[in-house]
Amino acid sequence: MISFILIIVASIFFTGIIIRTKSITSGRKGPGILQPMKDIFRLFKKGAVYSKTTSFIFQIAPSVYFASVIMAILVIPFGQYKGMISFDGDFVFFAYVLGTGKFFSIISALDTGSSFEGMGASREALFSMFAEPAFFILMGSLALLTGHTSFQQIFASLHFGSYISYILGVMATFVLVMITLVENSRMPFDDPKTHLELTMVHEVMILDNSGFDLGLILYATNLKFAMYGALIANLFMGSFPLYLTIPIFLGIQILFAIAVGILESFTARFRMNHNAQYILALSSVTLLIFLGVLLVLGQFS
Amino acid sequence: MANVLLIIFTISLLYLGIAHRLFTYIKILAFQGVLLFGIAFIELIQINIANLTFVLLETIVFKAIAIPYFLNYVIKRNRITRDAEPYLPNFISLIIITLIIITTFVLSNAIADERISKIYFVVALSTLFTGLYIIVTRHKIITHVMGYLVIENGVFILSLAVGNEMPMLVNLGIMLDIFASVFLLGIFVNRIGDVLKDVDVDQLKNLKD
Repeated sequence: MISFILIIVASIFFTGIIIRTKSITSGRKGPGILQPMKDIFRLFKKGAVYSKTTSFIFQIAPSVYFASVIMAILVIPFGQYKGMISFDGDFVFFAYVLGTGKFFSIISALDTGSSFEGMGASREALFSMFAEPAFFILMGSLALLTGHTSFQQIFASLHFGSYISYILGVMATFVLVMITLVENSRMPFDDPKTHLELTMVHEVMILDNSGFDLGLILYATNLKFAMYGALIANLFMGSFPLYLTIPIFLGIQILFAIAVGILESFTARFRMNHNAQYILALSSVTLLIFLGVLLVLGQFS
Repeated sequence: MANVLLIIFTISLLYLGIAHRLFTYIKILAFQGVLLFGIAFIELIQINIANLTFVLLETIVFKAIAIPYFLNYVIKRNRITRDAEPYLPNFISLIIITLIIITTFVLSNAIADERISKIYFVVALSTLFTGLYIIVTRHKIITHVMGYLVIENGVFILSLAVGNEMPMLVNLGIMLDIFASVFLLGIFVNRIGDVLKDVDVDQLKNLKD
């Protein structure tokens, strides 16, 4: 329960902090922290317009996408406190609930019959496909390290003892940050501010969505950021008491948002045809995490 | 702590597989020099002070500063184009380097000898094979020298693993460095640039019928 509430709270200010950081680094004052949420509320008040070529799939897809993200958030624990849903192997559930949402957003993009949206959908599917082994090898190695298979037990019994486990923590954080950027289609992989349909990935898929549906999709993006931020924060919480973990959680969310903002200000996006290899490099890094876990366990010493 | 540096070293090998520009290669080589300095400092702290100073100075001055600086100078001087120009796409390079790391891991697990420090063995062997792979799949002579420098880093790591017992091996590893610098001087003196130099292209313009 507590993780659900805190993720919702974090999602309210997350995108605002990213935009504010980008404005400050480029020498502007920038909009207020809550401006993205105000935009979303404005969209919620509007009705949606549907194209005549689309079928019912296009109409239900944004709701399914939003619901899948909410379902995924319910699984996330908070330190030693369980998420609302918790069972053995729930990280598989987490990944595939998000996968369901992504599947619906892809077929709704194909449903519009626009060639640009089909192209964007194809890219999105490719990039998520390459990011998936990285997530599973990472969670699998953490499960192997701790001997448990649910998020809550993994994070509660994760403790840093030796030097090697520090580097494992750092690499896991790096991989999770990069997976977040891939899944949310942010800067090094996709530019959310681009205005050319040919170079868009995620933005081009939602070109035909309007009003309430668009608001749902945009808010789901904020939620996804806060969700992955919560996963990263969980790596560092351990079994501290609640008055310590809440500041740690919020601090990590803010740091993460500022880091994403700085990354977006100072890096150019990768070339589209090189994206796949950079994402696959994540899987190679997680493979090193796996070998490191084998080292720690003494399977290999 | 040395294990942490070794794992970062392995990640730098993966980055080497997907780098596009020659200057990125140079930066990675300099970074590997700094990592080797750290590993040598931690590992060889027990050997006598003169030898330790020599090894540390060699890693930080020679590997991390002098060779990258000189490579940079050679590339600018000979007007070598800045693309790495691999024969195979970088995507395949990444997969092959990952496979190299896994294979060396499995191999060293199969050996199961008490006297070998396995993490050193894995990192050294995978560095060696990555260097060989880079030599085989890149067009330019300057990238061949860079691949040789990577191999040489691998040999240095392997010698560090036994450095406390046999400091002589570390010094032998350093000899390879000097050998590599002879290669570099050869390129510099003979001015081996790209296959098609700028000058040659200019001469083609003078062709008339």
